Amino acid sequence: MRFDLDMPAWKWPFYVARHPFEGFEDLRWKKAYSMRVSLVIVLCFFIITVCQQVMTGFLFNTSYVKVFNIVPLLVQTVVLFFTWVIGNWSLCTLFDGEGSMKNICCISAYALVPYLITQIVVIIASNVLLRGESAFIMFFQYFGIVWSVVLMISGMKTVHQYSVPKTLLAMFFTVIAMVIILFLLVLLMSLFQQVYVFGFSIYTELMYRFSI
Amino acid sequence: MPKMKKIATAVVSFVLAACSLATTAFADQPYEGYNYDWWDDPVPSQTGYVVDRVVTGLDFKTGTRYNTEAQLKEIAEEHGKQYFASQQEVDDYNAKLAVYEAYKDKLSEYTKYEKALDKYNTYLEKLAAYEQYQKDLADYEANPDGKDKPKKVSKPKEVEKPAEVKKPEPVEEVKELKANDILMTTVQLDNFSEPSDLFIDRETEELYIVDSGNNRILITDVNYEKEITIFDYFYNPKTKKYETLNNPHGIFVRHVRDEESDTDTTMIYIADYDNNRVLGVYKDGTVFQEFTKPSSEFYEDKVTFQPNKVVVDVAGNVYVNIKSITTGAVMFAPDGTFSNYFGANRVEQTAQAIANKFWKTILDREAAAQFIQAVPMEFSNFDIDEEGFIYTVTEAKSATTDVFKKMNPAGENILINLGFSDYIYGDKITYWWKNENFGSRINDVDVDENGTIRLLDTANGRIFEYTDECDLLFIYGGKGSQKGLFTTVRAVEAYNDVVYVLDSRKASITTFKRTEFGDIVHEAMSLYTEGKYEEAREPWNEVLSRDSNYWFAYIGLGNAELSQGNYKEAMDYFYRNSRPGYDRAFKQFRMQFIRDNFNLFMIIIAVVIVLGVVISKLLKMRKQKKAGGK
Repeated sequence: MRFDLDMPAWKWPFYVARHPFEGFEDLRWKKAYSMRVSLVIVLCFFIITVCQQVMTGFLFNTSYVKVFNIVPLLVQTVVLFFTWVIGNWSLCTLFDGEGSMKNICCISAYALVPYLITQIVVIIASNVLLRGESAFIMFFQYFGIVWSVVLMISGMKTVHQYSVPKTLLAMFFTVIAMVIILFLLVLLMSLFQQVYVFGFSIYTELMYRFSI
Repeated sequence: MPKMKKIATAVVSFVLAACSLATTAFADQPYEGYNYDWWDDPVPSQTGYVVDRVVTGLDFKTGTRYNTEAQLKEIAEEHGKQYFASQQEVDDYNAKLAVYEAYKDKLSEYTKYEKALDKYNTYLEKLAAYEQYQKDLADYEANPDGKDKPKKVSKPKEVEKPAEVKKPEPVEEVKELKANDILMTTVQLDNFSEPSDLFIDRETEELYIVDSGNNRILITDVNYEKEITIFDYFYNPKTKKYETLNNPHGIFVRHVRDEESDTDTTMIYIADYDNNRVLGVYKDGTVFQEFTKPSSEFYEDKVTFQPNKVVVDVAGNVYVNIKSITTGAVMFAPDGTFSNYFGANRVEQTAQAIANKFWKTILDREAAAQFIQAVPMEFSNFDIDEEGFIYTVTEAKSATTDVFKKMNPAGENILINLGFSDYIYGDKITYWWKNENFGSRINDVDVDENGTIRLLDTANGRIFEYTDECDLLFIYGGKGSQKGLFTTVRAVEAYNDVVYVLDSRKASITTFKRTEFGDIVHEAMSLYTEGKYEEAREPWNEVLSRDSNYWFAYIGLGNAELSQGNYKEAMDYFYRNSRPGYDRAFKQFRMQFIRDNFNLFMIIIAVVIVLGVVISKLLKMRKQKKAGGK
């Protein structure tokens, strides 16, 4: 079978999803990385997570939607994605990885596509299925996750030109790098908060002095 | 590449800004009357019970011992006490005592006089000697020849002659008595001292109070109208002695009906904590059985036998709760022999317990023995209902395993919630305030004649009322010093819609009576549990008009709609109130929807098939055209 590889940028994620192994090779060969498409996918990731919180049927909805807060969802999707990209880039540039940050961002986003599609199916199905039929939902959920993980491994392997064990090791250490990055962020935030409190207390003190 | 970094910077800064806006709030107390919503958040709700009255021992003034006069005389002799038939006798005795005391005073005065008289007499003698000396001295001075100088005698100090005191008439000696030495049929009641248990005998409407600090059982009726009967001496026919209690902790009363002679025997079981026994006595105070530490090999010698609570089933098996035993209640056969342990809790699956299990599978036996054995929590209290189910509660600060169990006679918990998850009893959220944990600690359970379950939370002084299927009805009580609030609750009992709560530190019994709202809820609930959903609709609507936060009313109304076939309405009622209910309603609704729109579905499917065939044909033609064009 022959494939016409001169396709528009938006078709590439679906092509890659259908061809987990040679798809990324083709992508690399054709240099068809599109930042725009990957950012749209990340946006979709965020929107679908929000939909999953709000629109999942009552029988399967376990989220706390009484007070809807978008900030944790943003952290769970967009921030986590970019932390993954930054963590992977900073790790793999040190260990002979060939991928640039743009490449890593693109393949990570493209790998998310199966997960997002099955998630849409799950959201729709949760509104028409009963609790006794939850096996279908579980199947779709796991199917999407496994497919995405396979794509992610294959993409990482191709983009950095690693062997499979090295890819797995790199992904494991990427997770650790993510934890460190997030920890530093939290630390930075609390430090800034203390600086702010310090400045504010000086300000109030001055105000008291001068008002009397 | 620089573009992406810009985007990442923007996103991170936005998140930082958003996070700094978020604030956290802490509520140290939920509402006065409250309930829990779908997300286990407390929401304000109407209360089902209000405080009726608070009773202490001082309200009863006097109590009567059940013993006969002859028995009391025997007891007095045995325990070195003095028996009095009435207050008159005590007064007489006291009068005699006063006379004797007066005699003793007079006697001491007289002995004092006697001493003074002695002194005076010696003075007189000395004075005579001195006068003699002076006379001799004068003689000597007048004619000193041939005579010795008389020996000098000094002048004695003058002593006054004491006033005369008559010797008093002797009076019969009377011993002084302390309050503890007096034994009377009628007793002046001071306050309870650390009472620890309540029991309501539903057949005779009697209320039993275990007055632990005073080592006695007090009996009155549920309205506190009957005079208190005091149980503190029990005749043991085996030792032929009258025995006392020592810090009793629990009580259970059982009626045995003899069909042949048509007599009713009342058997009282008392957990006699510091005497290491459970005492079985008849209502006339005769001991019929004593349950002591079993000498079976299944009962470890080192373990103490200090019974905390006691429960007896219909067959006469005695279940004893002992705080130092984690393998369940100690169960005795009716004849007093140890039969086995009953209904142990499961081990709480903490991280440590799981880690221990993991190491035990890896290491050999000796090394594994070094680890601390994971032991289940012992339960703290129990109750039995008319059908013979035993309900246990476990007082644990952090553990959630088996906090409340309903056990069948085989010792299996039958409230397992279809295996989905354990129920949460008491407060669903744990409050931390100034480093102290205010999570619920359930230390008593009561099941009334309608099957309503009440759990007593000693940490917050609250009573949690559940239906027999563990749906929360009401939360009431609280911690504090005002009327209706508690400091250390120990026992809860309910009879005829009145709830009795025993506070150990306040030494009082607080009765709660049901409000109108509570009556309506219970009426609706009893119709609901009977399956009369349609009849329960009216009271449920009434409940909702009074309190729209009362979530169980929605479930009741949803079931009413479901039974009428109004699936859409039922779904609306069940939404965010009951998942199983919604599931049932939605199943019917979906079925009906498909049935009603069967033609439409068929048409859509047909159209889709036709369209698919046509499009695939068209595509083929196009491809062929393309190929042909080439």
